[in-house]
Order: sequence, then C-alpha cells, then structure tokens
Amino acid sequence: MAAPPVDSRELRVVRRRGSWALASREMRRVMSLWTQTLLPPVLTGVIFLAIFGGALGGQLRTIVGVEYLRFILPGLLVMTVAGQAFANNSTSLFQAKNEGYIEDVLTSPIPPWQLLLGYMSGGLLRGWLSALVLALVAAPFAGGVDQPWLTLFALVLTGLIFAALGVITGMWADSFDQHSFIASVLITPLALVAGVFYAPDRLGQPWQTLTRLDPIYYLVDATRHGYTGAHETSTVTALGVAAVAAAAIIALAVTLLRRGWRLKA
Amino acid sequence: MSRVPTDVSESERQSAALWVHELEKVYGDGTLALRGLSLHIPAGCFFGLLGPNGSGKSTLIGMVSGLVRAPADRIFVFGRDVVAQAGLARLQVGVAPQDVHLDRFLSTREVLEYHGRYFGMGKREAARRAGELLEVFDLSAKTRVKPNRLSGGMRRRLLIARALVHSPRLLILDEPTAGVDLELRRELWSYLRRLHQHEETTVLLTTHYLEEAEALCERLAFIREGQIIAKGTTGQLVERYGGSALEDAYVEAMR
Repeated sequence: MAAPPVDSRELRVVRRRGSWALASREMRRVMSLWTQTLLPPVLTGVIFLAIFGGALGGQLRTIVGVEYLRFILPGLLVMTVAGQAFANNSTSLFQAKNEGYIEDVLTSPIPPWQLLLGYMSGGLLRGWLSALVLALVAAPFAGGVDQPWLTLFALVLTGLIFAALGVITGMWADSFDQHSFIASVLITPLALVAGVFYAPDRLGQPWQTLTRLDPIYYLVDATRHGYTGAHETSTVTALGVAAVAAAAIIALAVTLLRRGWRLKA
Repeated sequence: MSRVPTDVSESERQSAALWVHELEKVYGDGTLALRGLSLHIPAGCFFGLLGPNGSGKSTLIGMVSGLVRAPADRIFVFGRDVVAQAGLARLQVGVAPQDVHLDRFLSTREVLEYHGRYFGMGKREAARRAGELLEVFDLSAKTRVKPNRLSGGMRRRLLIARALVHSPRLLILDEPTAGVDLELRRELWSYLRRLHQHEETTVLLTTHYLEEAEALCERLAFIREGQIIAKGTTGQLVERYGGSALEDAYVEAMR
C-alpha cells in the first residue's frame, strides 16, 4: 500500500532524517576513502612541520617570541581545515552533479538549508579530523594549546566558511578543470600568503599589505592567538569578520541551492 | 498565462494524483519546451504519456519531481503544490528517470536504503523495504555489488526499485524499459500491474513502445511540441484518429 500523506509536523521529522542520512553518506565517504581523504593532508602537514619547523626552525629559533615550529602549527591547522573542507565538498558535489546521481537528493523532500548541512558535514569531518590528527602528532614538539576554546572557535569558523565555499564551487563547476581551478588559483595562494610561515610585520611591501588583505590571515592569526597566545590583530574583530563571512557564504549557498543554480534547468 | 481557474473545486485538485494547469517552460537557451500544457491524472490510474523525442515528456516529469525549475500554482500532486509545498508533494512522488544515474559510492542495497532515508524512513524501516524490493526485482544476489558492476538491465531494475522505496502514491516511470530485453520487459509489466492493482499506486508511464502503453495503461495522452493534443482510452484514441490499433492512432495524431 502506498504511504499515507503526512502533515507539516511529520514533514519536519522526515526532513531531519533525510538531512542526517545525507550527512552520514558524506561522512561515510570520507571515512571509507581515508587513504585519499585523511592520510594525505596529515602527511602534508607533518612534512611542512618537519621541513619548516625542524630544518628552517633551527635557523630562525623564534618568531614574535614563539618557537618557530609552535608558531607555524596554528596556520597549518587552518590550512588543513580550509583546504580539506573545501576539497571534499567541491569534489563530492561535483561528482554527484557530473554523474547525475544528485537527482536522488534533489527529488527528495530535504529542503535547501538541510541539503547544505548534509553536504557540508563530510568536508567538516575531513577538515577537523585531519587537523586534530595533525595537532596530536605535532603536540609533543609544538607544546599544548594556550586557549583551547578560542582555537576551536577559529577552526570551527574556518571549517564552516570553506565547507560552504566547497559546496558552491561543486555547484558551479561543469568540468574537473573548473573544479580544480578554484582550489589552485584561489585557495592555495590565499593560504600561502596568509602568514602561516611568517609574521607579516617582518616582511617588506607589497607582501605585508597582501597578507593583511588576505581573509585567511585573520583566521590564522586568531587560531595562533588561541594556540600560542601570540597575535597581531584584534582577535575579536578577526573572529567577528570571520563569523559574518561564514554566515554570508552559508546564506549564499542556501540561496543557490534553493534556486537550483547550475543543478536544475 | 492564466491563474488556476477558480471554478476548479479544491476536492477535484486534491483527488487528482497529478493536476497540471497551463504549464509553460522556456529553457535558458530559449527552447520552448512546454506551451500551456494542462493534464489531469485521476488517482489510481495507470496513465501513459506518449510523444516523440523532444515533445516535452521529460521536461514535465522533471518539473513534477523537482529536477527542473517550475512555477508555483501550476502543478499539484494529490493537491500539494510542487513548488510551494515541495516537501509534502515530493514525498508522494517516486521517479525513475530515463537515464540511469546511481550513486557509485554505495552498494546496490545501500542505494535503496539511503534513498528511503532521504525520504524520511528510519534506518530499520529502510533496510526492511530495501530487502523486500531487492527480492521483488531479483537483485538479492547483488546486494553488496556497486551499481557500476551491474548489467544494464539490473541497473534499470534498481532504478525502478529506488523509485518505490518510500512507497510513493504517484510513480513516474520515464521510459523504464528502454534498452531492456523482452523477458525483463514482460517481468516489469507484470510487477507494475500488481503494484497498480494491489497497492493502488497511480502510475505515469512514458514509453516509445506502443504495445507497452496498450498493455498497461488505462488512459493515455499524446503530447506534441509541449502540448497535450489528445487524451482518452486506447479505444477512444483509435476511434478519434482511425486505424485498428494505438500505433495507427499515434502515427496519425503526430502527423
């Protein structure tokens, strides 16, 4: 017998279950492909720490009063969360769209904001889990976290911003080249000039200005404040701007999903 | 385009499985796919929509199921507006699209389970229903296999099974037997007949096989250039267009 019609109250339960199912599908994808999703970012982070923190750190000793390896770790955590949250979601959505199986969720009763939540969860898990493992590996050398809640809050905001950006990029991309274009032309350069490996006030122009114009710099600085206690900008302002950016990007992603931007004819 | 006529009683719209009123669709490239299409499929009916490629069948199905953008106040599924009440409307629709797209990260069983869960079923309930459908569609031996390892016919069966997981009241099948061998086609026919008779599911079927439409459908509509040009039973259509079978009527209507 066909299912009886449901009322609006039951629909809320239906949607919550649907959204959770999508989230669990996305998170399962991350865990089942862990050699492609979790291992590489952790290894990359460890290599960065070994080369910059170990080899170069031996020359530099300290920067803004913080041991170099400890100085770069917060930035590496931001880079890991941002890069992995972005890459996971843009790839997952691009694949679903490109191979057509996105119709499975597009025909479902899951509303746009809960679709976004479902799709974002995979990237958030991948970003945060990779960063956690990297932090645990580095902890014996980099020391403990100065302000855990501040560090956590900055990394949560980083995850939200880049997970939502990844979803938008996955919707936008019509080819694999387009899909990797954003990562290589926008995300990687922004991450590299975000003051992960240096303190901007020690650089000459135009690098100092470029760094201060880079939004990721403020996430790095806030995370560094939380992890080491050292910072250059106002953390309240940095996190405030990051929170507004996260809200704006999430709202944009919901709007685009509602309109079926590049998903529906 | 006129608004929904006020003389249409709410109960008439509520009782129809699918109620479409003067629906138009212009794609971004300027293609006019639907030109004021109106269609009324009574609840419980096995309905066939026949027309050549590019006549608007898949566009209509896409608009009903949420895959193609649609205007509000034009399409109702059991009285629910597919735009303004998208969630409630979609819960009642199961669609097996023309092209086979299955999630390659999931196994055959998981394709069904996740689909059920996207439609709000609990984990256990979705697993039970998936098992049932795997049995019905003779896929029980392939539960752990990824869809891209299945044969074309099996993938087609899985697609239809997926459309049925959440027990929709309106099942839309867009050319379900395209590329399927005769034996399997007959099996699908017999399953669809059982489903329609025993579960009171309304079925909207598009097909290019006129003998399939003749064998299964109680009522039919011919669609051409985005408009319904004729509707009725096979007998009524044959009577109107002449000939001895549905094929003759169809060829004459599309002339």
